[in-house]
Amino acid sequence: MSSFKRKAPSKQASLAPGTRFSPASLSTIITSTGIPSLDDILGGGLPLSCLLVVLAPDSHSAYGELVQKYFIAQGLSCGHKICVADDDAIHLVKECMWTPGSLQSTSTPPSRVEDEDDEKAIQHDDKIKIAWRYEQMKRFQTTVSSATSSADDYCFTFDLTCRIPESVVDAAIVAGKLTFLDVDSPHDQDVPVRRIIQQIQDILVASSAAQPVRMSIRALGSPQWGDLSPADILYFLHSLRGLLRRHPHGCASVSFSPHICTDAWGGPGWQQKVGWLADAAIGMTAFGANPSLISLFPSHHGLLQIHTLPAPHSILPPSDRFSALRGLSSSAGGAGGTGENNLAFKCMRKRLIFETLHLDLEGGVTERRTTPSTNAIALEAGALLEPPSINADGERKKATAHVEVELEAVEDLKAGEEIPKGPQPIAEPSKMKKPKKKVAFHSDRPDLYDF
Amino acid sequence: MFPPSALLSSRKLILITDELAAPADFLLHRFLSTKIRENKTSRCIVLSVSEDFERWKAIAAKSNLSLFQTSPGENLVFIDVLAKVQPPSHHEEKREIDAFLCPIYDLLSSALAPSEEHRETLVILDDIATLQWLGFTSIDLTRFSRSLRNLCAKADATLIIRHHLVNPPEVEPLLQHLFQLSSYHIEVRPLASGRSGAVSGEVCLHLGPAEGDATCPLTSRAGAIQYRLTDGGAIFFDKGTSGGVL
Repeated sequence: MSSFKRKAPSKQASLAPGTRFSPASLSTIITSTGIPSLDDILGGGLPLSCLLVVLAPDSHSAYGELVQKYFIAQGLSCGHKICVADDDAIHLVKECMWTPGSLQSTSTPPSRVEDEDDEKAIQHDDKIKIAWRYEQMKRFQTTVSSATSSADDYCFTFDLTCRIPESVVDAAIVAGKLTFLDVDSPHDQDVPVRRIIQQIQDILVASSAAQPVRMSIRALGSPQWGDLSPADILYFLHSLRGLLRRHPHGCASVSFSPHICTDAWGGPGWQQKVGWLADAAIGMTAFGANPSLISLFPSHHGLLQIHTLPAPHSILPPSDRFSALRGLSSSAGGAGGTGENNLAFKCMRKRLIFETLHLDLEGGVTERRTTPSTNAIALEAGALLEPPSINADGERKKATAHVEVELEAVEDLKAGEEIPKGPQPIAEPSKMKKPKKKVAFHSDRPDLYDF
Repeated sequence: MFPPSALLSSRKLILITDELAAPADFLLHRFLSTKIRENKTSRCIVLSVSEDFERWKAIAAKSNLSLFQTSPGENLVFIDVLAKVQPPSHHEEKREIDAFLCPIYDLLSSALAPSEEHRETLVILDDIATLQWLGFTSIDLTRFSRSLRNLCAKADATLIIRHHLVNPPEVEPLLQHLFQLSSYHIEVRPLASGRSGAVSGEVCLHLGPAEGDATCPLTSRAGAIQYRLTDGGAIFFDKGTSGGVL
């Protein structure tokens, strides 16, 4: 009898739902943030025992909060234990998005509904006649598809137009899977940082190691947290990361309040300090603050900066090897060899997407010719097909649209000349044709095209 | 290729500075594993601020080295700094200065206590910048680093201190002081052209003010050695010779 035995795949069975092994190593277990493209950037997902920090410095939008909602919704879908530290946590959870198919039994399968935007775009593109030598090439992709991960329950496909059912939230609270930590307590003599750390520690100690625990903080540094100093925040991050390392079944996602996201608040190098004390730190800089960027990148809502990426068991972050969006390893081989892609994000009607940012064929001085219109057409068509439903994220969307309109006005004032309105927010389908024409005239504006 | 072998046995203070885009973790791990490998009787003491022992162990395991946290007097002593001391909170009243980091000094001096056989010793403080950010004052850390250096000089040990640069051209008082104390300064920098899959960054080795003559070959910025990170370490090569360069 041979002394060699096949290794029994016993480890597979012991993995909790919603988690999987990191592609880089079997000692790292990762879980999804709820956004497939963000998972890809992190190297497959957020590793357990790691801390993700989202810096979204634009105070007129709430992309940091949106990431938290995805994180919570994903946790609720997989049955993870979730702990939300916020004074208004219950409302935050009730505003989360949800998977489309679970509420109403529509005739179309959820994946079809979800990918409607893409499919419309594809149909639109198909009408273009392509030169024969390019016809066989793979379609140019700017983001990763979520279809690959829909085979299991690793990452659910959420729809921003669906809201989480009350019954799900109530059931999770009753089952003890959803706990809330009050930030502002009348008994506190001091800033609540040390008390919250203690409470999180209690939760981690009390929970079983087999079930992942997700910590979510919507706005660290907002008024409810009291008068935090930069050292308090860094101490909080450092302690939280230490806790997660000691209890490796937990992971945390923290968004900062917009005003503390920039170096202007914490002194020179503040974002870097945060990056050093978090496992993963990303910055989502929305274009709201800069009208010229809005017109330069009409199809995106902001730029993504990667400050640091998780590498809990290795020196090289797994993302460098496995992220398709960052594209560091695309030329493969031992040598690698390409530079990192520029990344941006956009929030469409149904989902938030991170994708690669490309300049246009002409070098970025005009609009991207197809995408804005196809998006708008797809959205319009989607709105016609579907009955108007309560928008799970209605407030945020309104806020975004409002900001853009306001800033266009500012831009007009500043330029002091009769300037076309620039690309309208995609929420206004009736004015679709206008920006296309007008952008062409932009090229004589001195502030944008200062060659 | 890097670091020169004479550096590790120099028994001086080596200052490492790095930036967020190019962390010098790989150098610390490399120093530790080189030291343990080259001499089985050598002694390593890690004062850890930002990394836990699990990560040190996992990374050492990738280069076939198993680390065990052992009792004092053995090969490796791992001291988690922030488990022993808490940063002063500006909300509470001032305590005696110097009191905060005393426990660490005491622990280290007991770990460095002379043993019967003379052994080569390496002391690593993995992150002094984080201590400063968490609220330890600059003057406390200045005194702490000075006393660490004296302690190591007395015990004939090599001391490695890492500091993060967050605002590169600007040099803060603590870093200036560390410069003055250091015999060698290793600078780890990201590429100015951004992240790349072929080259992760570059390292330079400068002579510090505390050392008169260099005993090991120096590397200037112009001739910086580039490296590419792997799972368990880094591969060094001269500028312009990486596989990805045309």
